[in-house]
Amino acid sequence: MGWRQFKAMVRKDVVSELRTRETVVSMFLFVVLAMIVFHYAFTVSGGGRLSFYTGGMLWVVFVFGALLGLNRSFAHEKDDGCLDGLLLCPVDRMTIYLAKMTANLIFLGAIQVVAVPVFALFFASGRIATHLPAFLALVVLADLGIAALGTLLATITMNTRSRDLLLPIVFLPLVIPLLIAAASGTSALLSGAAGAPSVLGRLAFLLVYDGVFLVLAYGTYDVAIGE
Amino acid sequence: MQSATTVAAGSDQSVARPAAPRLATTGAILAAAAALLAAGVLVGFWIAPTDASTLGFSQKIFYIHAPIAETALLAYGVAFVAAILYLRRGDARYDRLGVAAVRLGLLFSALVMITGVVWGRAAWGVWWAWEPRLTTFLLACLLYSGYFVLRGSVDDEARRATYGALFAIIAFVDVPITFFATRFLPAGLHPVVIGPSGSGMDYRDLIAFVAGLAGMTLLFVGLLRVELGIESLHEQLRELKYRLGR
Amino acid sequence: MAGAGRAAGNHGGGPASEPAGGARSERAGDAPERAGDAAAPEICVEGLGKAFGRRDVLRDVSFTVARGGFLTLFGPNGAGKTTTLRLLATLLKPSSGSVTVAGHDLRGDPAPVRRAIGFISHDPLLYRDLTAHENLRFYADMYGVADAERRIADLLERVELSHRRHDVVATFSKGMQQRLAIARALLHEPRVLLLDEPHSGLDPHAVDLLDGLLGDIRAEHTFVMATHSLRQGLGLADQVLILDGGKVVFAHGGGMAEAEFAATYRAQVREGALV
Repeated sequence: MGWRQFKAMVRKDVVSELRTRETVVSMFLFVVLAMIVFHYAFTVSGGGRLSFYTGGMLWVVFVFGALLGLNRSFAHEKDDGCLDGLLLCPVDRMTIYLAKMTANLIFLGAIQVVAVPVFALFFASGRIATHLPAFLALVVLADLGIAALGTLLATITMNTRSRDLLLPIVFLPLVIPLLIAAASGTSALLSGAAGAPSVLGRLAFLLVYDGVFLVLAYGTYDVAIGE
Repeated sequence: MQSATTVAAGSDQSVARPAAPRLATTGAILAAAAALLAAGVLVGFWIAPTDASTLGFSQKIFYIHAPIAETALLAYGVAFVAAILYLRRGDARYDRLGVAAVRLGLLFSALVMITGVVWGRAAWGVWWAWEPRLTTFLLACLLYSGYFVLRGSVDDEARRATYGALFAIIAFVDVPITFFATRFLPAGLHPVVIGPSGSGMDYRDLIAFVAGLAGMTLLFVGLLRVELGIESLHEQLRELKYRLGR
Repeated sequence: MAGAGRAAGNHGGGPASEPAGGARSERAGDAPERAGDAAAPEICVEGLGKAFGRRDVLRDVSFTVARGGFLTLFGPNGAGKTTTLRLLATLLKPSSGSVTVAGHDLRGDPAPVRRAIGFISHDPLLYRDLTAHENLRFYADMYGVADAERRIADLLERVELSHRRHDVVATFSKGMQQRLAIARALLHEPRVLLLDEPHSGLDPHAVDLLDGLLGDIRAEHTFVMATHSLRQGLGLADQVLILDGGKVVFAHGGGMAEAEFAATYRAQVREGALV
């Protein structure tokens, strides 16, 4: 029954999104535009070494892009006034969390599938291809952390005034550890400087990070989503 | 027909303790704190030997800087425990404790930053270095400021306390994680050692440090009591206003 | 005039239930006690209290509803009608008192209660970007309804929306949305239906359709309805309660003429208009 409910919730969010395409298109446009802005911001006369920053830039763009999507985690429920409808169902609150988190992951992943090649195109990073498995592992673990933390926080902020402003304020400080690990790991891969051990260290860190916030969500979600 | 003018049942009443003894104990605590801190500073700055390393005299700020840092973490820890207790028991007093603890934690974190910056300038001539501990406290400042922003944007009292508690729990878990993450960054330009160098602490260093630590902790406890006392009075005032206004 | 022509006090369809234990009857004459209602009440509320922080919204509310009964809650805005319904629906937790619905205590696991309850409010609780069919499919999955497609088809028939099943809900009128909401609430065959001002915002034709539907299903469920609408509230009910300031100020089982009730209401309640 839990699985059927989980599938129903994820399907609903994906179908809604496919129909309106509001969230995903906005996220994608933001990500690409941000990359262009960064290119111009960092191109100094004399030719600066952009490659120093590319790993970080990619993740800054993903984190801020993810925020756009996270803000809309419960948009359908809030805008259409049917949060009650969801809460009335005999469903484990944790199942709701996992379904929302999965939907956010799907949207984020969909953006990245297109944005990463664009990134490689703009910044001529052939190295991603050579280190693909490591890069993918990094992306998957980082996305999981962003979705896990972001969905939990979005659940809290959706019931506040100025919820769109509040989510970045609470989310960004908490996501910085993840950002550090993902960005420095990506930079290490792209510049070919660091060896396997340091990337593994970051992957391990991300795994712990994800685990911690998933456990936190498990312990607090009943309270977070409503009495 | 009974009209609804009876006093609200179940209103939250803190046990009213007589004001005088409460003030007295708080006063005593703060006095003890002041004494210990003074002693710590005295010993640390005048009696303990000057540090042998390049830090020289500036190292002595450690006797204030480290206790402040540890007290800030203590404050956040108190908020964490108060948050859990609030979620478990629903008693508004735990919420007030949490708010007071976070407020003090922010105060102490700001002091960590200030002393850290001063130390950095004195020791290496830079105002800021992305040193793991300082960076973690910077992020803690921003994080716990978000605590108050979050509370401010919730209209319903009960929800405000609940969300505050949730955030205090999440934030406290994040602090050590942030600290470990900052060590991923490539080694900074300045080797930062926040502590006495050499083969260990001279016994005088130890006295200064322990005095400072004990003093700071007592200061925290004293200030916490003051905060809670004020908050409790506010609460009683709100309660009275509410009853009169119905 | 309502096309259905229900007079106040006329019990539409289904067996009339005797006034259940907790409600105080104020009438001189008594309805004959009906046998077969010896079973435990379907809904049992005792000493229910709810406070939001400092504010006491409900105080010591008690009533019971027998199986198959229909209780209407009247009262001015802010009296606590919606809060009572939301408490029964598990959307809120009681601050004090005990509540039992369909044999399940609300203080325990809420899932069995949620399965036994259907909730209809002035908000249809439907996703506007999804079609009628998709909405019902979603809820059917969430409630674990067996043979979902057939059940959905049946219900769409019943609420006369089969021809719009693949249309997006945003294109429905309020009346149609409310009918779809009834289908949504009935999907999982709940024993109890909770209605929070279901007629509000509906034009008279839609009101008649809604009443017709409610009359049709009257026999199969136990109802609690909150409303400002005198005719609709009295027409279907076999038990009424007036809430004011969070307390029960009047309770009555059995039929009552509209005029008499309106007079009682004005006497008992300090403010607030009845429709």
